[in-house]
Order: sequence, then C-alpha cells, then structure tokens
Amino acid sequence: MKIVNSIVFAIVAFILITADVEGQKKQANSGGISLNEKVQQLLDWNAKKSVLRLNGHKFKEYVKNAPRNYSIIVMFTALQPARQCIICRPASDEYTILANSYRYSSAYSNKLFFAMVDFDEGSDVFQMLRLNTAPVFMHFPAKGKAKGSDTMDIQRVGISAEAIAKWVQERTDIQIRIFRPPNYSGTVAVIMLVAFVGGFLYLKRNNLEFLQNKQLWALLAVLFTFAMVSGQMWNHIRSPPFVHKSQNGGISYFHGSSQGQLVFETYIVMVLNGLVVIGMILLTESGSQSDTRKGKLMAIVGLVFVAVFFSLLLSAFRSKAHGYPYSFLFK
Amino acid sequence: MTETPVKVKSGSAKGNFVGISSLIVFSVLLVCWIAGFASRLFAVIRFESIIHEFDPWFNYRATAYMVEHGFYKFLNWFDERAWYPLGRIVGGTVYPGLMITSGGIHWLLHLLNIPVYIRDICVFLAPIFSGLTAISTYLLTKELWSPGAGLFAASFIAIVPGYISRSVAGSYDNEGIAIFALQFTYYLWVKSVKTGSIFWAASTALSYFYMVSAWGGYVFIINLIPLHVFVLLIMNRYSHRLFTSYTTFYILGLIFSMQIPFVGFQPIRTSEHMAASGVFALLIAVGILKHLQTVLTKQEFKRLFILGGLTAAGIVFMTVVGLTMAGVIAPWSGRFYSLWDTGYAKIHIPIIASVSEHQPTTWFSFFFDLHILVCTFPVGLWYAIKKINDERVFVVLYAISAVYFAGVMVRLMLTLTPVVCILAGVAFSSLLEVFLKEDQPITQKDETEQEEPAEKKLYDKAGKIKPRKHDNNKNENKGLGSNIKSMVVIAILMLLMMFAVHCTWVTSNAYSSPSIVLAFYNQGDGSRNILDDFREAYYWLWQNTEDDATVASWWDYGYQIAGMANRTTLVDNNTWNNSHIALVGKAMSSSEEKAHEIYTSLGADYVLVIFGGVIGYSGDDINKFLWMVRIAEGEHPKDIRESDYFTERGEFRVDSEGSPTLLNCLMYKLSYYRFGELKLDYRGPAGFDRTRNAVIGNKDFDLTYFEEVYTSEHWLVRIYRVKKPDEFNRPSLKPQKRSGFDSITKKTSKRRKGVIKNRPVVVKGKRSTIKAN
Repeated sequence: MKIVNSIVFAIVAFILITADVEGQKKQANSGGISLNEKVQQLLDWNAKKSVLRLNGHKFKEYVKNAPRNYSIIVMFTALQPARQCIICRPASDEYTILANSYRYSSAYSNKLFFAMVDFDEGSDVFQMLRLNTAPVFMHFPAKGKAKGSDTMDIQRVGISAEAIAKWVQERTDIQIRIFRPPNYSGTVAVIMLVAFVGGFLYLKRNNLEFLQNKQLWALLAVLFTFAMVSGQMWNHIRSPPFVHKSQNGGISYFHGSSQGQLVFETYIVMVLNGLVVIGMILLTESGSQSDTRKGKLMAIVGLVFVAVFFSLLLSAFRSKAHGYPYSFLFK
Repeated sequence: MTETPVKVKSGSAKGNFVGISSLIVFSVLLVCWIAGFASRLFAVIRFESIIHEFDPWFNYRATAYMVEHGFYKFLNWFDERAWYPLGRIVGGTVYPGLMITSGGIHWLLHLLNIPVYIRDICVFLAPIFSGLTAISTYLLTKELWSPGAGLFAASFIAIVPGYISRSVAGSYDNEGIAIFALQFTYYLWVKSVKTGSIFWAASTALSYFYMVSAWGGYVFIINLIPLHVFVLLIMNRYSHRLFTSYTTFYILGLIFSMQIPFVGFQPIRTSEHMAASGVFALLIAVGILKHLQTVLTKQEFKRLFILGGLTAAGIVFMTVVGLTMAGVIAPWSGRFYSLWDTGYAKIHIPIIASVSEHQPTTWFSFFFDLHILVCTFPVGLWYAIKKINDERVFVVLYAISAVYFAGVMVRLMLTLTPVVCILAGVAFSSLLEVFLKEDQPITQKDETEQEEPAEKKLYDKAGKIKPRKHDNNKNENKGLGSNIKSMVVIAILMLLMMFAVHCTWVTSNAYSSPSIVLAFYNQGDGSRNILDDFREAYYWLWQNTEDDATVASWWDYGYQIAGMANRTTLVDNNTWNNSHIALVGKAMSSSEEKAHEIYTSLGADYVLVIFGGVIGYSGDDINKFLWMVRIAEGEHPKDIRESDYFTERGEFRVDSEGSPTLLNCLMYKLSYYRFGELKLDYRGPAGFDRTRNAVIGNKDFDLTYFEEVYTSEHWLVRIYRVKKPDEFNRPSLKPQKRSGFDSITKKTSKRRKGVIKNRPVVVKGKRSTIKAN
C-alpha cells in the first residue's frame, strides 16, 4: 500500500512540476526569452534526447524568432502511420543515428542542434514554410535567412546518415563522424545456421551416408551456379524492384535495357537455364538406358527442352539487346 | 571465321588409330589458333595496327623503354615524366611479365634477323597468346576428362567473347597473357596431383612464377590450389602424391613469387596469402598423423588425434590472429574484402565502387559473354561431381569460386570464362559421345568397352561417321535409332553454329573499338568517317612544344599523352596519389584565376581538355566533370563543394540556367571557349552543345590567364597554354576590378590572406562573449 501511495505521489509531483515548468515557460514566452535561456533550454533537452521534438509553438520560439546564435537542422516529417509516408521512417532512423553521433562526439557544442517537426504536431509550420512533401531536411543558419541550398536535396544525395552528415558539414562546417550501432543480425544468423547444421549432423551421426551422396552435392553446386549466372548477386547488391508497373497500368516483367534487370526477370532466366540443363542431362542419360523406349522418350523430351527453352532464353536476351540480329525458333 | 570442332572422318582400323587421332588433335588445335587469332583482328583491319585505350599505352611505353635500355635499366626506371613533379618508380610498381614477354619475342626475332617493330609485337601479342590459351585449356581438360572434351573446350575458349573482350589485337594488357599462365598453371597442377612427381610440381611453381610476374590475379591461384588440397583432405583423399606436389609447389612458388619487386614480401605478410601457408601446415600435420597411425595402436592414436589436433588448430589460429593484431600480417585489403562483403566497397571505397568494371554482373552480361555455354556448363559440373575423382574436385571448386566472383564483379568474368569452356566442353563431349556412337550389337559393344578405359574414347570428336550409319538399320530396335540420333546431332550442331555466329557478332560490335580512333557512319549514304582527333592533337603536342613541357589534363589521358606525345604529365591512369589528382581536379573546378595559381605552382605549361560538344561525343571532360569535383572535394572540402555545381533544383546543366560556379569554372571555360560563336547548323542557334543538347549558358567570355594554342579538327581535343605572369591581358579589366587581381603575385596574395583573417577575428570576439555568459 505504501508503495502504491508513494508512486501516486511521485506521479502527482511530476505532473505538478511539469505544469510548473510549462507555466514558467509561458511567462517567459510572453516576454520573449533571452538567447542564453534558449540555448540553456535546448542543451537541457538535448541531454535527454538527441533529436529535439518541436511543435508549431516551439518551432517559432527556437527557430524562427530572432536572437539566435546557433544553427539548427530540422527534419520535417510525417511519422504517423495514417500519413502513409513510407520513406519517413527510415529517413528518421538515419537522422537519429546522425544526431546521436553528434550528441556523443567531441564536436558536440551549443552551435548546432538537431530537431524535428512531425506534421501531426506542427502542421502550421508546414503551412508557414509552404512544404507539401515529407521528409524535408532544412538548415536554419545562425545568421541570415535560409537559402535554397539550405534545404537538402533528397532526390540527389539520398537519405543515408553519411549523406546528411556531408550536407551538414557543407552548411555548418561541423564535421560529424557517423557511428552506427553495430548490426549483429548477420553474425547471429551465421551462428544459428552453423548450430542448426551441426545439430543436424550430430543427430544423424550414425547415418552419415547422405554426405557421400554425389547427386545431392551436384544439385547444390548446380543450383548455386544458376543463382549466380541469373544475376542474383546483382539483385542482392542493387535491390531492384520485383516488376515494373508502367503508367498505363501494364506490368512489365523484363527491364528494357541491358544495364538493369528486375527480380522476376532473373527468376525466369534461372528457370530457363535450369530447363536447358535438364534437357541436356536427359539427352546424355538417354544413351545409358537399358529400356530402349524409355531412352527414346528421354532423348526426344531432352531435345525439345534444349531447343525450346534455349530459344526462349535467346529471345529474352534479344528483347534486351537492341539490334541483336539472331534468333532461334522464336522471334 | 570461327570454328566448332572439325569433324573428320576417322579410319576405324585400330592400328593407325593413334596416328589419326593425334593428327585430328593437331589440326583442330591449329584451326582453333587460327580462328581465335583471326577473330581478334577486327580492330586492326578496320583501323590500323594501333595500341588501344589507356592502360595499354603505358604498357607499350614501358616495353619500348625496356627494349631500348635493357632489362636492368627498366627495373630501376624512375619515370620523371609522369606525376610531375613527384615522378614514379616504374620498375617497382608494375607486373613486368608482359613487358618481358614481348621484349623476349622481340629479342628472339631480331636474333633470327627478322626485323619486327616492337609496336607490332605488342599489338599482336594477345591474339597469339589466345592460341596458347586454347592449347593449355585442351591439355587441362584432357587431364580432367577426355581428349574429346579438351578439343571442345579449346575451340570454345578460342572464340568466346568473355575472353576476347580482354585480348583483341591492340589491347596490350596483362590479362592477355595472364589467362594463358592461369590455365597452364592449373594444367601442371592437375598433372602433378595425378602423378605425384616433383618434376610436375616444380613446373607448376615455375608457371606460377610467370603468372605472378604477369597479373595481380595470381592471388586466385594461390587461394584455389590450397582450397583444392583442403577439400581433398576433408574428403579423406589424402595421398602421398598430394603431399609431394603441394609441399613442392608451395615452397618453390613462395620463393619465386617474392622475386617480383612489386610483390616483394606480400606472400608472407598479407592475409590473402595466409590460406596457402595454413594449408601447408595442415597438410604436414595430416602427414605426421598418417604416419603415426601406422605406428601406434588404435586407442592411443585416437587420444592423440583429438588432443593433438585441437591444440594444433588452436595454436595456428591464435598465431594468425595474434600476428594480424600485432600488424605483422596485413589484414585483407579492401579490394579483396569487397568480394566477400558485397556492401563493403559501396560504403568505404567509393573509388572502387564507381569504376564500371567493378559492378556486379547481370544475367545479360553472362549471356552476352558466354551465350550457350552459360546454360550448358552446369551440365558439365553435374557430371564432374557425379564421376568425382581427385582432379575433378579441382575443376568443381574452380567453377564454383569463379562463378561467385564473376557474379560480384563484371571484370572477373575473365576468370570464369576458361572454366566455363572446360565444363561446357565436358557437357557437349559426353552428349555427343552418346549420339555419334554407332549402334553395335550389344555383345560386341560390351567387349570393346571393357577393353578400352573410358578416357581413351574418342568417338565424340572423331566419330561422326555418317556414311556408316545405314549399316545399323538392322539393329534399329537396339539403342536410340538413327533418326533420333541424327536429329539430336543436327540440333546440337545448329546451337554450336549459333554460338560461333554470336561470338563473331559480339567481337565485331562490342569489343573491337580502339577508342583512340573513333568511327561513325553517315546517316545519309552510310559511309564511314574516321575521327582521328586524339592522335592529331598528341602529334601536335609532340611537334610544337618544348621537350620538357608539362601538360595538365584529367588522369584518363595521362598514359596517352606520355605514350603518344612524349610529354610530361601531372597525373595519369596509375592513380596512386589521390591528393595530386585532387589538386588537378580542384584546378579544373575553380575559377580561372585560382586555377592559374594552382597550375603555376604545379609547373604546368599546357592544359588539355577533351570536348565532345561539336560531334556529340559523350565521353568528354564535361561529362566526367562531376568526378573531378567530387575527388577535389574529398581533399579540399573548404574550397570545392559539389552542390555549388548544381542548380537550385539539383540539376547539372550547362545552359543559361546552370549554376554560376559551373559557368565560370576553368573546365567550362576551356571547353566552351569561342564555342558561342560557332554555328553547327543553319537552323540551330549558335553555341549548341550536341552532347548535352543545350545552348551553352556562358557564351561571351575571354580568357585572361590561358591562351588557346590548338584545337583539333572536330574540337575533340583543345590545348591551352598557361600564360606566364608577365603576359596577362590586364588592360581588358576595368580599373576598379583590377585591384582584386593584384593578388596573383605571391606577396600580395599573402597580404590578402591577412585581410581575410582579420574579419573572423571580429566575429570571434562576439562569439566568445556569448560563451562566457
């Protein structure tokens, strides 16, 4: 009971104190707070959070209003799920990484602050700055008005923390070294895999003949080569879209130029490669069949596989290489 | 032009079978060589016998130097004509194998009183070596599978575009000879594993030595062979043959490779080579254990095996980690590391990531370079695993590792191509072995099969015996029947024919441009025009400038200027000094005044720019300009900012809406000087840039610090002279502006720096008061 009481008391006290602070702030606002108070306030907030969350009122007070000797970087964003801003979340994560790197670096000072305005908390700010997209990164210099280049060009440089840091350095001459929290997911996955395979082998320790199974190993090797020659590594590095949706609603499965590819396209190519290989193997195996009819069937099926699927592959290639003159069976 | 394996009628008489088959092998390989050589000559026939592109010009210049001054002078060559004023130690920073090879051929021919100019040897070296590659591929495949497969593989590698791309006539580069060395080393290695003789192992090491002297890709060998040994050990295929060949190869190869000055102590000090020494230790440990097994009882051996094995592994691991931590062994270099961690280069080494050769490979490029081989070599892989033995483990590992590397980097398609040819050869050979074999009565067939070991069967290449087909009609119910057989054979031959046609088409269209002479076709009558502006300009430089003049240009053209104009350059394609390159980039991206300051301090006399706006050549300096800005920004972030060169909306444009910084930078001015007066079309406006399809924004300007001295016929190359301080055209400036330009002389510029310094002092005072509060 005592504990509950004390908790209640603490909460009440907290509310009172915060209310008090709000009240004080209001008083200060009515007269306009001085520069030193502003900086002190910002530093206090920064001690708790590396990205300051501003609403319309605070934005005016700390960014717009005159006495200011610090630069401030503001991210305008819309994080509410209802706004359906897909890029806002990763952009905000990168921004937080940057702000944290700055907060805990030796370059940290009261010359530069990182802040953000969410659309749902400060839509008046969006109206005031005539912003109709999100996210937007803007720099408000210590002196003078924000110029065109004080808005970061997301289209060109992207939203990675490094890109933002470079832009911040351009605008404010403060260099921030990005420190990313290390990502252990890869290591964990590898350990899991090793443990899984090891455990599997241990369970099957009395029956390890399957390791001698050449068919299995051959299959694995061939599948690996299929994955590589159909450009899965390219997909992994470049992460292209699965299919292209054109403006008039149609879906194209093949990338038009020879420089790029779509994920679906590579799957088609992988399957076609696989079918040609199966055809070749059927052809080769047909000679060593004891049953003549079965051998003949295999030979015919294999021949059809090789001819048809290779021609399909060739026409897929032809559709990408403009001006390529040769084709087989199909145009 | 190209040739699939020739089908020759073979005599069936057993007596002269050997003679006939060696005749077939000889003639097929000869045809391969000729076909491979001929299909690499497109560029020579269309243009002339000329060295291509950029890097080959340096190799050519180095070779010419070696031929002229001798080998030892070459090893100690300090090239003061490159990287002025720093210079470059050439002997210690090149793989000399290429120069020694062509120098050796030159020496031999002159010994025989055949006077051949060294340039022609350089031009034709790669096509000649393609024939040797075909032969060594034949030998390797013969060891791995059968002579028939070998002939297929040899004919594939002779014409496959994936290899031609690096070995056309005129592309005088390391890869041209390195692929031969690679294949030959692998052949000798397989041979030595099979025989276990020290002779073959020592030959492997010698061939490896040649490879190390020729190409940085030798790292692939020194990791693949240990991997082979390691996998054989895991598969419990340890043998004395393996022990002899690997230990001999490793020790000799290690000592040989350290003789190349550029490699030096790397083989014992970098992580890339550590796998080889680790496997060496492991192999010896396994050898000891195998010996102990024969001495000790089973129980003792088991205990020893577990205890000793674990401690040994632990010690080796800890040593390697410890040495790496202590800095004795260098960790993986970024270039190799990026092969494993595919995201690494993108983040940490933008220069590597930006080069188009280092991009990952699309399925399109695989098909473009390998055509039908890309979907048949998995068949060969399948059969190699199904019928595995010691040496086939090697080819399987070779295929899997090479296909992985080729997937990560387009450039490494080159190492994949040989193994693809081998395995596709295996696939086609085993397929045709089925369909070209005559149907014999079953009893007889069994006898003959028992008599001959499988390796000796030559049916696939020798056995297309059409006239004898109808003999088999009586046996039609046995085997597959001649109808199906001939259908399959015809279909396969058609596919192979398409492969040959494809290879010729790709070689002719994609890989045969020297890029130093440009050709374009008139739209009206289809006639061909040759643009020889590059050589024209370099010749002008050679004839009209002082011998010790220094030419500043972007690094792409460094080797060509040195090779063709024989003038000193500031930077070149050996991009070893980034800050020097950044300085040149900074000059190109600053204003005329600042650029003059930089060029004067670097001692440049001329500035050369490539400008494609008149003819619509897209590879010119304005299009490369952003790279200059980026590289300059990397070193001088205070002075150069990439964003200054974009418009407010983030576009890079050269017309009147372009950013003022761009319109006034040196590169812009040098490219477009007097261009505003030029009318290319009757209808179009003056100063219309065809490459960027825009009317230039800054038309009317004069150059103060530079003087145009030469512009080639199609304006492709423009050369300017850097004026000396007493030649400036000062009267053209307005009096009030003139004071600003006084700062050119060093004294006044120092004084001006002082003026700038004073201003921040005032500001500082203000800030400090705030801080105190």
